[in-house]
Amino acid sequence: MQYMNLIMAGLFQAAVLFLVACGLQLIFGVQKIVNLACGSFYALGAFFAITVVGLLQSLELPMVLLLPVLVLSGLVIGLAGAPLELLLRPIYRRDPSYQLLMTFGLVLMFQDVFRFFWGPVPRSMDSTLYTIYGSLELSGFRVPVYNLLVIAASLLIALALGQFLKHSRLGRIVRATAENRNITEAMGVNSAKVFTLVFALGCALGTVGGALVIPTSAASMTMAAELVVDAFAVVIIGGLGSMAGAMAGAIVVGLMRAIAVAYMPEVEILAIYLVVVAVLLFRPAGLFGRSTA
Amino acid sequence: MINRRQFSQAALGVAGFAIGAPAFAQNQPLRLGLLAIRSGVGAFLGEDSIRAVQWGVQRLNAAGGIAGRKVELVIQEESTPKDTIERFRHLVLREKVDAVHGLISTGVTLAVAPVAEEERVLLQCWDGTTQNGVQESMPKTRFVFRSTDNECEAVMGALLTVKHMKGKFATIAGINPDYSYGRNCWETFKALLTRYGIEAKVVSEQWVKVGTTDLTTNVAALGAAKPDLIFTSMFLSDLPIFLRQASAAGLLTNTKLVAPTGGGQINELRNAFVPEGSLLGHNTFFHAQPGASELHKAFVADYRDRYKVLPTSSADRAYFNLMAYKAGVEKAVGATGRWPKVDEIAEAIVGVEVESLGGRGRYRDDKIAEQFFYQGLVRHQAGSASLDFADTTAIFSDKLQKPAGADYWNWIKSANFPI
Repeated sequence: MQYMNLIMAGLFQAAVLFLVACGLQLIFGVQKIVNLACGSFYALGAFFAITVVGLLQSLELPMVLLLPVLVLSGLVIGLAGAPLELLLRPIYRRDPSYQLLMTFGLVLMFQDVFRFFWGPVPRSMDSTLYTIYGSLELSGFRVPVYNLLVIAASLLIALALGQFLKHSRLGRIVRATAENRNITEAMGVNSAKVFTLVFALGCALGTVGGALVIPTSAASMTMAAELVVDAFAVVIIGGLGSMAGAMAGAIVVGLMRAIAVAYMPEVEILAIYLVVVAVLLFRPAGLFGRSTA
Repeated sequence: MINRRQFSQAALGVAGFAIGAPAFAQNQPLRLGLLAIRSGVGAFLGEDSIRAVQWGVQRLNAAGGIAGRKVELVIQEESTPKDTIERFRHLVLREKVDAVHGLISTGVTLAVAPVAEEERVLLQCWDGTTQNGVQESMPKTRFVFRSTDNECEAVMGALLTVKHMKGKFATIAGINPDYSYGRNCWETFKALLTRYGIEAKVVSEQWVKVGTTDLTTNVAALGAAKPDLIFTSMFLSDLPIFLRQASAAGLLTNTKLVAPTGGGQINELRNAFVPEGSLLGHNTFFHAQPGASELHKAFVADYRDRYKVLPTSSADRAYFNLMAYKAGVEKAVGATGRWPKVDEIAEAIVGVEVESLGGRGRYRDDKIAEQFFYQGLVRHQAGSASLDFADTTAIFSDKLQKPAGADYWNWIKSANFPI
């Protein structure tokens, strides 16, 4: 049973990483933009969630609503992606280096936004909220119920996103735009609106991830940079633009980290990047990516 | 033509200049530069320090200042070594400060201290040392005063573990910051357990990057290792995160906790996730010190009233340096009969005993601080979410830090410890 601790910790990490990587994949898949600011949206979700939960506590609302409130706060602040998408419009058809510079600019801007609204010091929510749902104990192995709920919420979001993209009319338009923007525009689709929707949705996945992780952690100026490194490892392992790849990559990274930390903490980062290097060498398109050659 | 009176005045001015005594500056405020961390995971340390200095300066000025001069503060940020050197030079060259206090990061102190020596500026470090690991890199400074050794807390934590927990654990695990401080603390703890006959098996060693807020996998790894005792020298926002996660995962139910620097996070820690009987250290200041001085009580009351939180040892270290500077300046003024030069102040500070917030303290001949350290066992009070402490021990640092010039690892094998 001792391995269950590691597996559950790995899956919890994977659940949060999946949400951020999923947003990264969605934006790349449709808009062909590598969003370096994905970690900043994750941090934005974390900071905003602390404010929202603090407000709820001051209103003395029942804290059993913590999880839905966190998801909702992540979705709401994720809408900030919609106006920010306007900044990207002039560079869609330019060299990819412009896109990287623009999204890196967003990373720097967000640093000051965090400093302005939440100050330079790490922030956390009421430290007892993490255990509000209790813990589950099974023959010597104990896991906080909150962790299980986050894993479940992440799976539900993945399913809902899959259903939306596969079966809804809007989802089909998004997929068609991802396949060929010019043809969908010729068929009367307003691709600008699709891009705004996709960018906001991609950002919202990141902000929900940040909001969900915050009861176990703290929001800090450095959390964006920490997360973005892992998120890109997930995308490379899973394959750029693939949702299934995002899930596979997140599980690989989450479990690799948990195992490395337990048995050889010195190689915690190296272990993940050995996998990344192996994937780039032997399967450059990633586990679920489509080869462009 | 100049008359005799004009000639006498000019001659006095030249004489004053020649002996380097800024006699004309005595009516000017004394400018004290502060270098404090103001952003990131260590910002609370800098904030606590600034608040304590401001509190002290307010009282000093109300009582006439230092040797008759009111004190003015000029605050700059401590950040990277390179940027902090620039700000140190700015304080000295542009702001014309009389002395500089501050610096918490050892990495930054190692970079700034040689500049202070070169510029002949008095630099009193709040928490930074000039030790490279446990090796003193500047054994004979003229103008730089260093804090107590960072490992004092780990030494004391190990001694109190022997006292309170010997025979109650067989396996240990460590989760410590991944730099020389964390590694030295962990090695110190293990070495002292061995010295006192505790052959505990190490079942897990976790190293955490400074500023990390995600410790899920570390908690899982410790859970898998099932240690009887966990030692941690984490002291930033990572500590409450770790304890909250560890508690939720059931890791602390039957496991003892030794956190010799944990008291620094007293405002974030709660009974809900810090087990009763855990050993927590408060460094040089314990907010609920039994038999505390009037100064201590006044400071804690004012601080709580104004900021709604408890002060920590960062406040004490900053206040200690302010008082040591005051004592040094006034001693040198008394000895010379004029405003002293910087090297005279530096010499005068050595050995002067001052009352700080956490008790008396002084600087050794090698300009390393000596202060009291406090650690105690967590006690849960019914109806209270905040931590309470029982069996608090105070030990003066001359029993916890290596003597000048000694090799640290040899010293802990042979030192005559009080427990």
